[in-house]
Amino acid sequence: MAPRSIRKQRCAIAISVAFVLTCSVSAAQAEGDIALGEYLASECVTCHQITGRTSGGIPAIIGWPEDLFVSVMQAYRNKERDNKVMQAITSTLSDADIHALAAYYGSLKEQPPQ
Amino acid sequence: MVNGIDRRNFLIGTSAALGTLSLGAPAALGQAKLRVIVIGGGPGGATAAKYIARDSKGALDVVLVEPARQFTTCFHSNLYLGGFKSFESITHRYDKLAPYGVSLNHQMAHAIDRDKKTVRLADGTSLPYDRLVVAPGIDLKYDSVPGWGKEHEEKMPHAWKAGPQTRLLKAQLDAVPDGGLIVMIAPPNPFRCPPGPYERVSMMAHALKNTGRADCRIVIIDPKKKFSKQGLFQEGWEQHYPGMVEWLDPSIHEGVKSVDPATNSVVTGFETYSNCALVNVIPAQMAGKIARDAGLADQSGFCPVKAESMQSEMDPNIYVIGDSSIADAMPKSGFAANSQAKVAAMMIRGELTGARTFPARYANTCWSLIDTDNTVKVGARYAVKDHKIAPLETFISQNGESTDLRRQNQEENLGWYTGITADIFS
Repeated sequence: MAPRSIRKQRCAIAISVAFVLTCSVSAAQAEGDIALGEYLASECVTCHQITGRTSGGIPAIIGWPEDLFVSVMQAYRNKERDNKVMQAITSTLSDADIHALAAYYGSLKEQPPQ
Repeated sequence: MVNGIDRRNFLIGTSAALGTLSLGAPAALGQAKLRVIVIGGGPGGATAAKYIARDSKGALDVVLVEPARQFTTCFHSNLYLGGFKSFESITHRYDKLAPYGVSLNHQMAHAIDRDKKTVRLADGTSLPYDRLVVAPGIDLKYDSVPGWGKEHEEKMPHAWKAGPQTRLLKAQLDAVPDGGLIVMIAPPNPFRCPPGPYERVSMMAHALKNTGRADCRIVIIDPKKKFSKQGLFQEGWEQHYPGMVEWLDPSIHEGVKSVDPATNSVVTGFETYSNCALVNVIPAQMAGKIARDAGLADQSGFCPVKAESMQSEMDPNIYVIGDSSIADAMPKSGFAANSQAKVAAMMIRGELTGARTFPARYANTCWSLIDTDNTVKVGARYAVKDHKIAPLETFISQNGESTDLRRQNQEENLGWYTGITADIFS
């Protein structure tokens, strides 16, 4: 392939990646504040590894669909799901906090929940 | 211009400061970036160093001053004692912090000069700082148990700072003959890891029972009238280790009058325990010396901080986190120190780089293993209320819970350990 067409192709890839990133960040921000989510998430990573690795009884929480993440967190907050640690952690999270967390964790590399 | 400083470096320093909202000049002229020094590489200090360096993305110079090359966690050191974990599995190196931008300085920090904003190191050099995180953990009050002192810690180990002492205690436990008597002198409040002594007793009993030494007896001489998760531990001891564990409150033992390391004896107002197979002395505690010497502690021996930030009440350029701090309702635990470190890291970045800050949030959970797959937990979510760190939602395991729930707790405990040590060290 000629150098020029390589440059052209790379440029096209770069533009499309930038477009996708812009869209995904905008979409996420529409739902939740990622910076807030990142700060709130610093509590989660004490147990849930940021790499998405799992260990013992602690599941991975990155890359979940945001609506699933929100519904699970709300269920803990409403004490409909039964784990005392999670009930306490979520007890003071507002809906905006939960959406921010969902946006932040949703923005991390996708990995199916285990 | 300014006396003899290198013009280029001055300009670099100035632009770095301006680029970070002109919130402060670098600690030393000629220094390119604002500097944060962290003293102590435990769960508090190492977390703070990592988070400040990682999230400031090179804008700040972050130095972690810690003499050791590796860190053995106090949390889960009881599981090593009980034979559930290897010593290696609770020991972590600092190497992985460097890629985040943490400069590791493996020396002891000897003193803080708050006026000059410098930390004097063991080699005599002084490092200037813009903000200082003080996380030295606890010091032991060697004079709090009559007859016992630093010179006796090999004979009667404390093992309340994980490392060689932990191995020593394990070796002594392994050597206890069936029918032998173990005495633990428990510490007064406040102390590191409130359920720790009682989990330790559980793990000692487990190891003894598991190796055909169920005729041993463990007596706890406690200066406190009650202790963390008391009902849960006592239920567990009756269930798993009948006749092996005896807890004595001060109204019964009437105080420790003296210990004699030469004869491994403990004299209380109630009874003399002679020729013990093992005496574990966990003395009273206070903030690390460097914090006290710098005038960061109050008369309690620990360091008052602002609940909103973990900033020292004594010095706005210093943050005290972890066991040295007075964190109101939060216990002294690795989990708590890690939680406090993240608040302090965020606030320091806010001050030095103009990063967004959010209201402080804190959390803690302490899991305790009583016997195989029987783990109990206590914890809380905390927030700032009337300038204090107050528990908003608390929980504790209940007596008589199902074996399934207790097993789940242990799985959580193991997963948490991997999670928090990854958060701190990798």
